[in-house]
Amino acid sequence: MKGRNMTDKGQNGPESWLRKLVEWGGLSGPILVLLGLGSLLVPVLVGRFWIEVGTEILVLGLFAMSFNLIYGYMGQISFGHAAFFGLGAYATAIMFREFTGGTEEITILQFFGALLAGPPVAAIGALVVGFFCIRLTGIYFAILTLAFGELLFFVVFSWYTFTGGDDGIQRLLPPPVFRDPTVYYYLTLAIVAAAAAMMWRITRSPFGYVLRAIRENQLRTRFIGIDVRRYMLVNFVIAGMFAGVAGALWGPFTRSVGPLRLGWHESGIAVFMTLIGGAGFFAGPAVGSIVYTFLHAYVTGFTVYWPLTIGTVILLIVLFAPGGLLGVIDAKLIPRILNRGGGEERADNSPKKSGKKRETS
Amino acid sequence: MLTDPGILFATLLGGLSRAMILFLLSSGLSLIFGVMNILNFAHATLWLIGGYITFSIFSFITDGMGFAESGLILAVSIIFGTGVMVVIGYLIERLLISRMYERELPEQLLLTFALILIFGDVIKIIWGVEDRSIFLLNEPWEILDTFVNPYYFIIIATGCAVAAGLWWFLQKTRYGKIVRAAVYSREMVGALGIRIPMIYAGVFALGVGIAGFSAGVFLPLMPMALGVDIDLIVQCFAVVVIGGFGSILGTFVASIMVGIVYAISILVWPDGALAVIFLIVVAVLILRPWGLFGTELRF
Repeated sequence: MKGRNMTDKGQNGPESWLRKLVEWGGLSGPILVLLGLGSLLVPVLVGRFWIEVGTEILVLGLFAMSFNLIYGYMGQISFGHAAFFGLGAYATAIMFREFTGGTEEITILQFFGALLAGPPVAAIGALVVGFFCIRLTGIYFAILTLAFGELLFFVVFSWYTFTGGDDGIQRLLPPPVFRDPTVYYYLTLAIVAAAAAMMWRITRSPFGYVLRAIRENQLRTRFIGIDVRRYMLVNFVIAGMFAGVAGALWGPFTRSVGPLRLGWHESGIAVFMTLIGGAGFFAGPAVGSIVYTFLHAYVTGFTVYWPLTIGTVILLIVLFAPGGLLGVIDAKLIPRILNRGGGEERADNSPKKSGKKRETS
Repeated sequence: MLTDPGILFATLLGGLSRAMILFLLSSGLSLIFGVMNILNFAHATLWLIGGYITFSIFSFITDGMGFAESGLILAVSIIFGTGVMVVIGYLIERLLISRMYERELPEQLLLTFALILIFGDVIKIIWGVEDRSIFLLNEPWEILDTFVNPYYFIIIATGCAVAAGLWWFLQKTRYGKIVRAAVYSREMVGALGIRIPMIYAGVFALGVGIAGFSAGVFLPLMPMALGVDIDLIVQCFAVVVIGGFGSILGTFVASIMVGIVYAISILVWPDGALAVIFLIVVAVLILRPWGLFGTELRF
């Protein structure tokens, strides 16, 4: 690692900045900077429709990143992550309903109060669900999260008086100042950026490295004296809480929430985004969110066969590029930037044994 | 409600026939998982495709060739439909699943998850969005002051027959023994000179074939409709988790349990039918994650 700099050709100019970024955060470093700058410019460059698509990308991107705390870093696949997204959305929506009481008036203070209700409710939900789920791994973890997700879906679906049942909760108009798509976009951007920064910090903390250890080998991690279940539970709750942040932003954005937000389709969205972008990278789900949401907005414009489209995309990625888009870029680009074998981020973060062939090359 | 013997009997019958469909699906699911360690999310979607194909064969024979609609024609259609599904299952294993054995579990799950989406739309493209079912004229039987469709008995008998046949195949035949051996040690079976890839393809085709068969058998009772597959696969997961992966007996008992609990919940608390089943699943996973009939070793 240290000897690398001696063979460098130039230390000045944009190349060395890029190199520093990559050394700091792997491929995610430059990608995050690019996304951050790009997202600031979106409302200046495009019209109302694409601003709203941009907001959707941000909210769902945060949701997918929170999912990747469980999948990419802890190595367990959850098919019920939307439960916490939905819990956050419903908590905010119910606060909205209580504050407005049928009118469409809500003060800014009440609005932020309602937003704040989302994450803790989702975190409590994740604590209860996680308490059971972290006892299992692999296929059983996947089935149990799916079962809990569907269970919560049915609770919300049937509890007509409190949640509105299959009607959901409508007319969630934010205060007048946030009704403008551009303003709501920047509000979302600020919150999502803050949440992403926190998650970044978490994944680079000793806690984050323990998670990677658990992903690689639970038994060995236990042998070095780490309480595996406690770490997994804490991570599950953190992931649920950030999903709740995304959920809280969703209601006022679409002006309504429905029980489908807790269903397995919604959980699938997080899984797909993460897979498209690359689970081995912090920025992977964010990139996946851009690709998925763009594709969705574009494809549904001229065909009703969206599931067929996304299903085929997923199939091809699973078969031919299991590292996701960033995995492909990483293998091609990073060695050139660093003048070496590359794959630091993958060796560091990858949950995939399947990447092994390329790792050794 | 539950004190009326007639309603109770009808509920029981409905529950048992539902149990049969769950068993026919879950046994394939459980067998595939036991042998290949692949959890096939798309199993119920393949079941649905089997139903549509059998329907198409049936309407081809009756409308296209002018035969009268009868149980015999249905039986012929089911045989052809099952054959088609066996071929489809074989192709899916050879072309897609066989590339995934060295992969990690999440990727295997995602592949079959993607198949749900793809097949769902393929059904929409080929058969449209209307429900498809076959009407067979049956004289209802009067039992305990209620009228029941005698077809229920055919379904329950068929389910039990397949269960017995599967048991016989796995316990008594040479190929069944190879399959059971492969559940315990693939390497050892391979070392004995048995071609493991053919066993895998065969088991997958068998599982999908049973699914297609059961869809055909259920056509007169249960319309093939989009979205039914999701409902079913989630309940099948419940069945295999409760019964224990890889255990045919466990799958059978758990199917009956889930089918009857489901039927009674529909009568007592319609909204909560699935919730009750999930509660059982959660309880089993926490107290006995390897299932009621599975062995702890396999967990």
